[in-house]
Amino acid sequence: MHDGSGRIAVQNLTKQFGTVPAVQNLSFAVEPGSVTGFLGPNGAGKTTTLRMLLGLVTPTSGAATINGRPYTQLGNPARVVGSVLENEGFHAKRTARNHLRVYAAAIGVPDQRVDEMLGLVGLASAADRPAGGYSLGMRQRLSLATALLGDPQVLVLDEPSNGLDPEGIAWLRGFLQSFAKQGRTVLVSSHLLSEVEQMIDQVVIVSAGMTRYYGPLEQLRASQQSRVLVQPADANALVTALREAGVGEVQPAHDGRVAVANANVQQIGDAAAKAGVAVYGMEEEKADLEQLFFQMTSPQYAGGPLPPQQPVPQQPVPQQPVPPQQQPPGPPQQPPGPPPGFQQGPQPGQPQNPYQAPGYQQPGQQGQQGWGGGQ
Amino acid sequence: MGNLIKAEMRKIVTTKSWWALLIPAFFASLLFALGWGAFTNSLANVLDSEDTLTVTRTLGIETGELPMGLLAIGHGINVGLLFAVILGVLAVAGEYSKKTITTTFLTAPNRPMALGAKMITYSIWGALYGLAVSAAASLGIAFVVDGARMPSSGQWLAVIGTSLLAGVLATLFGVGVGALWKSVAGSVVTLSIYMLLIENVWVFISYGLWQENVAWMGGVLPNGTLNGIVGAIGAEAFGAAGVRIPGLQDEAVWGLQFSAGAPGAFSWWASALIFFGWTMVVFVGGWLVNQKRDIT
Repeated sequence: MHDGSGRIAVQNLTKQFGTVPAVQNLSFAVEPGSVTGFLGPNGAGKTTTLRMLLGLVTPTSGAATINGRPYTQLGNPARVVGSVLENEGFHAKRTARNHLRVYAAAIGVPDQRVDEMLGLVGLASAADRPAGGYSLGMRQRLSLATALLGDPQVLVLDEPSNGLDPEGIAWLRGFLQSFAKQGRTVLVSSHLLSEVEQMIDQVVIVSAGMTRYYGPLEQLRASQQSRVLVQPADANALVTALREAGVGEVQPAHDGRVAVANANVQQIGDAAAKAGVAVYGMEEEKADLEQLFFQMTSPQYAGGPLPPQQPVPQQPVPQQPVPPQQQPPGPPQQPPGPPPGFQQGPQPGQPQNPYQAPGYQQPGQQGQQGWGGGQ
Repeated sequence: MGNLIKAEMRKIVTTKSWWALLIPAFFASLLFALGWGAFTNSLANVLDSEDTLTVTRTLGIETGELPMGLLAIGHGINVGLLFAVILGVLAVAGEYSKKTITTTFLTAPNRPMALGAKMITYSIWGALYGLAVSAAASLGIAFVVDGARMPSSGQWLAVIGTSLLAGVLATLFGVGVGALWKSVAGSVVTLSIYMLLIENVWVFISYGLWQENVAWMGGVLPNGTLNGIVGAIGAEAFGAAGVRIPGLQDEAVWGLQFSAGAPGAFSWWASALIFFGWTMVVFVGGWLVNQKRDIT
């Protein structure tokens, strides 16, 4: 029997559909008591991974376990794991209540549980309508009700916010967080970080069938530094002034402005005033996670090398915030090639990721991977 | 396993397929029994004529006492059982087409148990179909066959019993085919054409070409053996299957078996055993395929 830990473990999981590698050597772990986001662009292998975890797809190699066991060895699995999958089928002519009654019988829970779940997901008034007439959002709710029938310890959801209205998403967010707070496990996949960002604590980012990052979302967020772009009358004077004042770290910026990291607007303004350098404008550049996510996952769709020179816009360029510690010295433009894959391996001095798995991808390989990488 | 059987039962009764197939099954059996009953009854009228009687008596057959109704009832039942096969196809292939198979596998301890529950549940439904079509066929012959040519109560009970058995096996055969080939449309169309047309034509043509050398053909192929379970009861009553009446020509035997809808049938139990073999072939095949199949 299973160990009851509520832990999901994916070890070197690989799936090949014919010649198409859907998932390659994927490893990560999901701990109970947290909501873990499973992120990657469409086609990254998320659904295949979840289906392998649920015993619906047989892995080519590797293993996926829940509570230390493969899904098919959990006994009465729906009592341990509830799952909401994309394209989950409902018989178009069967009512929602009857759908739930079928699976309540299969799991062995009393029929009264059906009405409880219908109430929980807000379908009580539509319970006797055939599922074929349901909207996408209602189907998602019915899927969730089905998943919860067995009062599971682990919940696996594949793109659950598809079709949900903003209210539904907010409800789902709250529900999953409270579910996790009870010490249960939630793994939720999405292709949009922004959609799940507020509900997840941990994150697994995959692209082209491989892990790009996994660990606490906080760590990812903390690694992103914001900087201030300053438009001075005399850039050299400002740089000197900031150095003397010991404010921030000056970085080259490519549009005549001075980029200052690790300092706020007040500090910079004071230093400039003290040195008598006129400042015409300051702009705080906030790096956001979505950008980072794109950087990590973009190689999948890279068709080939970028053109060597891109026109340099005279406007602020917030779409390419370059992680400060990787800022190349010298040439102002970004070199072509793989994006500066920020978190491809633990940097020295950074806290070690506790969930680091052996199959973790290293930065240098990034350019050769993915559909566009010329495999 | 009890839970899964209960779930399968609920699946069937919460959609329309079970009665949407049972109604045509009932009427197909009824109409076929009516038509074939009227035909065999008039055939019996010819056989009962004085000239024929003189000939047949010299051969040692009492045609006047032949229960012609048995030939028609078997035919009627066999036609109706095609719908039991289709019901069986829906068991697994229907779930693939509606994609409910995902949840079915997710809520079962493992796939063998999910399929095992279907096997047991659909056996019960198959028996129900067998009962319904035998009732329909009985009703059909009651309208058109003369009282003296109706089957005896013992023969009638044998027909009902074999019809139940044939219903169970026919449904399981459908379950197996649907599990093997997850397409509902493909399975239903192929099975219908094969069972109604291809095998019958092949058996008929091969008999025409090679006569008694291939008389066994209808007795071993799937449709022939399914039909033979009930049909052989009728044919046996004419001494054309199981026990042999001395003097009856091989070709006449085959012709009588054909009239009973079971050309080449050895006996009801041999037909049942052989058809059970076919059922197991497709069922085990479907079982194995479903162990490995990726549900995407």
